[in-house]
Amino acid sequence: MVFVPILSGVLLVTIAIGTAAALIAWRERPEPGAVPLVVLLAGQCWWSAFLIFDLEAATLGAKVFWANLRWIGVVTIPVGWALFSLEYTGRDRYVRPRYVVLLSLVPLLTVVFALTGNPLLYTDSTLVVEDGLSLLDRSPGPWFWVITAYTYLLGLLGSVPLLGLIWNDSLPFRGQSAALLVGIMAPWASNVLFLMDAVPLPGLDPTPVAFSISGVAYLGALTRFRLFGMSPSPNPRARRLLFERMPDGAIVTDGHDHIVDSNETGAALLGTEPRCALGRPLREVVPDESLVPTDGSVSEQRLFRSPHDDRLYDVTATRITDIHDRTIGHVITFHDVSEHVRQQQRHEVLNRVFRHNIRTETNVISSYADLLADEESQGVADEITASASRIDELATKARETIELFEQGREPADPVSLASLLDDGIATVRERYPAARIERERDLDDIYVAIVLEPVFENLIENGVEHNAGSEPSVRIEVEPDGDWVRVRIADDGPGIDDYERSPLERGTETPLEHGSGLGLWLAKWGAELAGGSVTFGANEPSGSVVTVEVPVLTPSGASGHRSTERPSDDQ
Amino acid sequence: MSRRNYTLADEGSATAVLLGAVLARLPSSSKRAWNALVYSSAYLSLIAMAEVVVVSVLLSLPPSPAAIVVGLIVFAVYTNDRLADADTDAVSNPEQAAFVKRHRDVLYVSASVAYGLAVALSVLGGPVALAITLFPGALWVCYATDWIPGTGAHVRRLKDVFLVNTTVVALAWAVTLTFLPLAFADDVVTTPTLVVFAYFFLRVFTNTEIPNVRDVEGDRAIGVLTIPVVVGVDRTRWILLGIDCGTAALVVLAVHAGCVPAQLALALLAGIAYSIGVTSLLGRSENARLLAKAAECEYLVVFLVVALIVVFI
Repeated sequence: MVFVPILSGVLLVTIAIGTAAALIAWRERPEPGAVPLVVLLAGQCWWSAFLIFDLEAATLGAKVFWANLRWIGVVTIPVGWALFSLEYTGRDRYVRPRYVVLLSLVPLLTVVFALTGNPLLYTDSTLVVEDGLSLLDRSPGPWFWVITAYTYLLGLLGSVPLLGLIWNDSLPFRGQSAALLVGIMAPWASNVLFLMDAVPLPGLDPTPVAFSISGVAYLGALTRFRLFGMSPSPNPRARRLLFERMPDGAIVTDGHDHIVDSNETGAALLGTEPRCALGRPLREVVPDESLVPTDGSVSEQRLFRSPHDDRLYDVTATRITDIHDRTIGHVITFHDVSEHVRQQQRHEVLNRVFRHNIRTETNVISSYADLLADEESQGVADEITASASRIDELATKARETIELFEQGREPADPVSLASLLDDGIATVRERYPAARIERERDLDDIYVAIVLEPVFENLIENGVEHNAGSEPSVRIEVEPDGDWVRVRIADDGPGIDDYERSPLERGTETPLEHGSGLGLWLAKWGAELAGGSVTFGANEPSGSVVTVEVPVLTPSGASGHRSTERPSDDQ
Repeated sequence: MSRRNYTLADEGSATAVLLGAVLARLPSSSKRAWNALVYSSAYLSLIAMAEVVVVSVLLSLPPSPAAIVVGLIVFAVYTNDRLADADTDAVSNPEQAAFVKRHRDVLYVSASVAYGLAVALSVLGGPVALAITLFPGALWVCYATDWIPGTGAHVRRLKDVFLVNTTVVALAWAVTLTFLPLAFADDVVTTPTLVVFAYFFLRVFTNTEIPNVRDVEGDRAIGVLTIPVVVGVDRTRWILLGIDCGTAALVVLAVHAGCVPAQLALALLAGIAYSIGVTSLLGRSENARLLAKAAECEYLVVFLVVALIVVFI
């Protein structure tokens, strides 16, 4: 008989913890899951309290009365658990009054059967004495197994979304879900033992005893893991929101190429509405065979011009696979590339203008200037020719700028820094044979983006062309720094004027504050496209130092990674 | 359910100056303990426990955990009430509001654990004791919050409804104080039980309205209707004195009918006499906070007299 006080003591602890946890959860309203958790904990406390009353009762009638009332708590727990799980994991669209009523039908019927003593729930109730303890022995009727199965079903239903969080990247979510699952598993396991007659006292269901573990677990989830302080409930909606509000059109097809989902943009570019498109074959909605994924084996890209808005889309079909890597559908996304295509066209035309038309016209100007030149006007003719040459150079740089941005769209192509610098030096030496250009040796193992080619060439040229001395000198120093490299191009010329440097550092030009050419802008843009930057400084005793700081790349064919984290200045 | 409580350390009174001087001489740990006792409503729990002892003696009930359960309930409910009203109390009782805001989480968890323990202990008294323990909590939800669970609907909280507010507080106290020890003793409701219930109902009603006299301007400003707001301070004093006299008449009648032993009735009458003294100062004393606190001490007077009677007679 010592057993009863111990059992009652444990049950009292269960009630105390459960009530405290319920009140703490109550405070968190209207956080998703707070109210269902209160319901669940109230059910646990109810079950435990009425088990104590049952144990304290002496007669069969009293025991049956308390045992029947206990069912209110028993059936509340799985409903509370399922609703909690749905709300907490962001599936609150299922926690609407009509669904709650639907979910509560079987539990309500059970309570009615219990309170009316319906034989569907229990066919017989007798009083048995086990180790001096008077216990109720009841023969379950068919409905008992219905509610048992239903309870376990809801338990499982509630556990599945939480199991998903166990593998979540977020440590708090893992802790929360683990604590919650312990909370539901403990009484679940003890109830299984009871149903299998594997408990020491066959007439005594030890489930409420396990509620003490549940209470501690829920209390831990509430306090230690901030159950309602940090909730995963926005996640499913955020994904849905992203799908619906994304600027790109998106259509989901199943394995038979029927449309099963679509966002507004996706449906609009196909000239329909999502609700009209759903369930229809993709071929029927878009009579364009090229859109239908062919083999489903790879992500495919193609262009599609919508007849409804006359815009051009870059279409990507991405496979959706099951756990066996079998294709079960596709996500077809439509990225509007109309503006990009127009820009490309502009680039092509401008490229031709800069490459061909302007060069032709400057050549014509130079030729006529030569023809008109005589002894008196030779100086004027030379000036005209020089001016035409500068126009040609400007056109060349403009063309290089366009090509630079075209290159920038492509993935970074690693190239040896030594070869880039040597090419630049060679080009400048060809134009300025008197220039003295030096660079450091032993740079073979440093690779950088190919877009830096015009950067170095322009900066070297810039150091030479503005130097009025007879032997302009440029020195190139390279300083590797982990995953980054700094290239310093120092000259002994007049230096870079403030009016040239300020717009570059500011990033904008105005009609009153602007540079004189394109070379330095080209260097800045090229370095930024390579993931780096350009800084300008003064050289001693005269001249300028331009520093290009860019990430080091891994050469093609070699394994490794590219760091985009810039080294600190003190390094 | 709030009997409004003010601390002896309230600013701007001679008592505050005196108490401040006393506290300044105490070690910091003692000061903290004093603040916790006063601001957290723990002292009200002690008063409530004393009241349960008085009830048990009046009804000749055996000792039970009822006093502890009531103490825990009072702590939980009043702590929650102070948490709920921390913002509005910031004007009328800044020190208490600051204490409550500073220890918000600890107080809430403590109150939750206290109520959990109260519910668990009440199960030992059977289903009736459990129901009585849950009663003040449920009533507090209706009293202090304007939210109906599950519907999202907001309704006017009982705390803001004229007369209902005081009646609810008095009812919750009287039911818990009277019937919980009875439930633990598994005893039946008799005429003496109803007399004790009526006595505590009337006492709590009076003590709940006394602090409202000081808050008459503030309550009027925020639209809370209390007796002093509706009928004025002078009439309130007369109404409360009338209730005091009515309670005294009830006690005399109960003694005459043999429902309450004459010796114990002396203790109740001593408490009423004390209350008449406090009530008669309403609107006449400058220190209304002290009056409110003094009114709460009525139960300690009754407890002490009962203790003296039990020991010496």
